[in-house]
Amino acid sequence: MLASILSVVADAVLITLVLALAASGLAVIFGLIGVINLGHGAMLTLGAYLMWWMTSHGVPFVPAVLLAATGVGLVGLLLEHVLIRHFYDEPFETLLLTWGFFLVATEVIKLVFGTDFRNVPNPLPATISLAGLELPAYRSLVGLISLLVLLVLAGVLFRTGVGIKVRALVQNREVASLLGLNVGLVYKQVFVAGAFLAGLAGALISPMLSIDPYIGNVFLVRSFFAVTVGGLGQILAGTLVGSFVVGGSETIFALVSSQVFAQTVVFALAIVLLRFRPTGLIGLRR
Amino acid sequence: MSAAGDLALGGTADRSARTGLGELLLAVLVFAALAALPQLIEGYVVYILPQYMLFGVMAMSLGLLWGSCGVLSFGQAGFFALGGYAIGLVMGREGLPVNPAYLGILCAALACAALAAAIGYFLFSAGVRDSYFVLVTLALSIMVEQIAVSQSEITGGWNGMFINRMSLTFPGFELQLTEDAPIYYLVLAVAALVYLGLRLLQRVRFGKILVGIRENEPRMEALGYAAPLYKTAAFALSGAIAGLAGALYATHAGFVAPSLGGVLFSTEVVVWVAVAGRQSLLAAFLGGVLVSSLSNYLSAVAPSLWQLFMGLLFIVAITVLRGGVAGFLARVVDRRSAVR
Repeated sequence: MLASILSVVADAVLITLVLALAASGLAVIFGLIGVINLGHGAMLTLGAYLMWWMTSHGVPFVPAVLLAATGVGLVGLLLEHVLIRHFYDEPFETLLLTWGFFLVATEVIKLVFGTDFRNVPNPLPATISLAGLELPAYRSLVGLISLLVLLVLAGVLFRTGVGIKVRALVQNREVASLLGLNVGLVYKQVFVAGAFLAGLAGALISPMLSIDPYIGNVFLVRSFFAVTVGGLGQILAGTLVGSFVVGGSETIFALVSSQVFAQTVVFALAIVLLRFRPTGLIGLRR
Repeated sequence: MSAAGDLALGGTADRSARTGLGELLLAVLVFAALAALPQLIEGYVVYILPQYMLFGVMAMSLGLLWGSCGVLSFGQAGFFALGGYAIGLVMGREGLPVNPAYLGILCAALACAALAAAIGYFLFSAGVRDSYFVLVTLALSIMVEQIAVSQSEITGGWNGMFINRMSLTFPGFELQLTEDAPIYYLVLAVAALVYLGLRLLQRVRFGKILVGIRENEPRMEALGYAAPLYKTAAFALSGAIAGLAGALYATHAGFVAPSLGGVLFSTEVVVWVAVAGRQSLLAAFLGGVLVSSLSNYLSAVAPSLWQLFMGLLFIVAITVLRGGVAGFLARVVDRRSAVR
């Protein structure tokens, strides 16, 4: 009994952490600069495909992850520079434009990489034993990386000069720009950082799934709910709490019902939370 | 927004009445051409076109919501599929006292209206942002697809649900719609009625209030209009129309599958309406019909290039055309008449 409870808890924790990693790019782009990035799913997919392409061409695992993330970061830079930067004042237009990016990116992915299922070999196929539990080694490592990424993000945001600039921009854009902040540049840095993180997540998650051109969509809506339920701008605690509500609790619901029903319940729960706490569970009332 | 400026200037009322008349004239031409088509050609086109017209009706349901009221839904296909399943369930029952298709269509429209009203009021009454509404409707279409897949003993799961062609019954006689031409005219009549009904709605007080909310919601609230109620009503009506279209689609195609309610189809509708022009119902209808016909034709020739082209056109429609093809054409016409 205890062992099965422990294994459910471990499962929920790992799912929460993987979702938090997938949502981290969105927590940056949407949570900080308010861009409703519907292209987030396509960025994850692109990261996964770049990862597949490089590992199948003999690039070792760790450099491949970093290169895939950088590649998606560069695509994000291009997207921001050509389209998004002209529309920061119009959130609704950026929502549509990022969806346009999703449409185009998905088709380009299909043209370049094909539509077949692709698999990235798991670099750590073993399991590790911990307190009587058998945990998949790679998934656990990704969970740890996820925590690390969120900690680093929070550290950058609250302990560095770049972080002060970003927070100034989030708090009051006009005053920040009057005080000499290059608002356009900070927007660009934040957007590219978010794209980089999405690429990183896509690359790291790719060995856990079969990759197809719509793989990112699985994470798109969940990531949005994770970020909004947790709280906009609450990079560390918000993303973790939100990911638990959207991802981890699904594991618990799935114990008493089917997987699909559990997901429906979780989505409904997220919608209810969105209505009653629009600034998120951790967020302050603004 | 330039539309706000137009509304504020008194002198443009005359012009908008003129373009309104122009659009009505164009609509008469379009529907007359569609009515003449089965007389000129037969075969596959006459078979398939009603399905595209129903996609056009779904596009109009979004046109009402997005164009008039400024609320974007990424979940219209969810209602479309729900309508299809609703008519399928009703028509599958034995021993109904009335024509099961009539009852099915009514149930489809009512179920979708009720669902939309419940979701709409729940969110609008809390003043949820429009962008959050997009996310919720996106989740809605995912949920519809997933429920359709998982409740396989009711919906048939991945295999979908088979539905008979409906028949029209009147007191005294019955008209089977198994041939292509009769159901073509039924669908055309429904499309034309929905178009006219929505046009009328835009002209009356209700439509004006919706536009007022789109342009300045706080001001309408201050003037004493309960914006959440009006937005809810618009969403419920829009859901009902999408459900009606879905029910007719199901009985025409004879089949509904979960993917009909999915995210990809839902957002395709958004692309049609954005590219064609969200301010005009006729443009939304034509966008639905033309883009889905072209998709069908070109996806046989060059599938991925076509999708890529639509994606790029979508971006161009938002950044450059601003208001889609119809908005662009209207501005060109305006500029010409202004020069003259």
